[in-house]
Amino acid sequence: MPDNWTYVAAAYALAAVVFGAYWLRLGRRERELATLAAPRGNRGAARTEAGAVRTDSNAGRPDHTSRSQAPSTTAHPRPEPASRPPLQP
Amino acid sequence: MTTLLGWLSGLGLVAGLVMGFGVAPREVTQGNVQRIMYLHVPAVWVAYLAFMAGFVASIAYLARRRPGADRLAHAACEVGTLFLGVNIATGAIWGKPTWGTWWTWDARLTSVAVVFVMFLAYLLLRGAIDDHDRAGRYAAVLGIVATLNIPLVHFSVYWWRTLHQPPSLLKPGSSTMPSVILTALLVNFAALALLGAYFIARRARLLAAEEEALA
Amino acid sequence: MAWKDLLVERRSKETLNALLFFSLALLFVFQFALGPDRERLAAVLPGLLWLGFILSGVLGLGRAFLVEHQNDCWEALLLTPGDKSAIYLGKLAGSLVLMAVVETLMLALFVVFFNVELGGALPGLALVIALGTIGIAAVGTLFAAMTAQARARELLFPVLLLPVLVPVLLGTVKATEALLLHEPLAAVAHWLKLLAAADVVYLAIGLLTFDVILEG
Repeated sequence: MPDNWTYVAAAYALAAVVFGAYWLRLGRRERELATLAAPRGNRGAARTEAGAVRTDSNAGRPDHTSRSQAPSTTAHPRPEPASRPPLQP
Repeated sequence: MTTLLGWLSGLGLVAGLVMGFGVAPREVTQGNVQRIMYLHVPAVWVAYLAFMAGFVASIAYLARRRPGADRLAHAACEVGTLFLGVNIATGAIWGKPTWGTWWTWDARLTSVAVVFVMFLAYLLLRGAIDDHDRAGRYAAVLGIVATLNIPLVHFSVYWWRTLHQPPSLLKPGSSTMPSVILTALLVNFAALALLGAYFIARRARLLAAEEEALA
Repeated sequence: MAWKDLLVERRSKETLNALLFFSLALLFVFQFALGPDRERLAAVLPGLLWLGFILSGVLGLGRAFLVEHQNDCWEALLLTPGDKSAIYLGKLAGSLVLMAVVETLMLALFVVFFNVELGGALPGLALVIALGTIGIAAVGTLFAAMTAQARARELLFPVLLLPVLVPVLLGTVKATEALLLHEPLAAVAHWLKLLAAADVVYLAIGLLTFDVILEG
């Protein structure tokens, strides 16, 4: 009976590739989630900050102006330009 | 804990390779191609162990509704399917030089293939239902059906192929297996079982993190 | 519940009619796929018969919860007071009646067009068909309810169902083959036991888990 070492190598290589790929996929997904979670927290904070700015600036105005402003602030969950830190110190 | 499991399984795999290629002798009738067995046979044992774990976790989830049990069932069935896939692929690679064909509709091959497809369908169902809670419940029911179906599949396929023949449920020649080969098999089984447990633990943790991120 | 389904079915008749035509069309397909060779046809006849039963069963069962789905009665189904397993049994009974009608017709068509000699095999064959149909319908009703709310429902249902039904298919085909060769019923006793075991397992799971499926 011949030894067929190529088949043995193929079988072990295949298993190594399958298990390795699964292992790498788990690791990659974990890192993705970690990076996803971090900026998400920042963005959430920025949104509340922007909301606070808006209510402050709209404090004394009549209803219809605040309504016209509302979509722009909710559609762009970013801080108001004025509240952003300057690009260069 | 999970990291420790990972290092242990890595060590175990090295030990398994040493046993399979260093200690175990060249098999007399099949030659060195028989060394695929040290990967092939433990893989199916681990897969079935994982399905058993998934079965228990499914029942526990339906009874107690702890999200952890659902994640464990999902992870166990996914890893079990992975190991069963490795088992089928390595079996085909072993079969080509030994039997002269990649695949035959032999009883054991067929039943393993049917079980593999059943659990692929399980993973498919998980992905096809949007409501997370509902997906968990339905998958648990399917997991119970699929696991209880395994013995039915085995018996039916066995009778289908070998009717009117004395059943030899044990592998031919397994009673005369040299103890070195048996030890090598068991060492590799322990290594792959550790690897499977490590994968399941890590997958379950990942599922928890995913749920948290999506919540 | 079964009564309601049968009533709706009798009034519309659409599923039944379509299934009857489907079985007729299958007959043609089998004939054209295999050619006029009588011997070859006879050898694969049990398999073809059960393939027909399972295909029509899949089509019929896949529609079992479609009426509820289309008419927005799913919530009403969920809110039904009392034991949910009664709903399961009702749906199961409705599907069984439907499948029995289609299978009777298909068997008759096979006898006429493929020249099958039933002879004294009919009682045994009826037993095998009953056991097989209960198995198909028991697990099929469960899966139909599960896939009713899923994406790609029409595709997912057979994908889930067919691999699980492998033991039932093997048992019924092998038993039918032996019975058509006029072997005694005792020769297929092990298959009958397997089919009965499968029926018990599927029915038990269906009864125990159906309230979980109709939870929300």
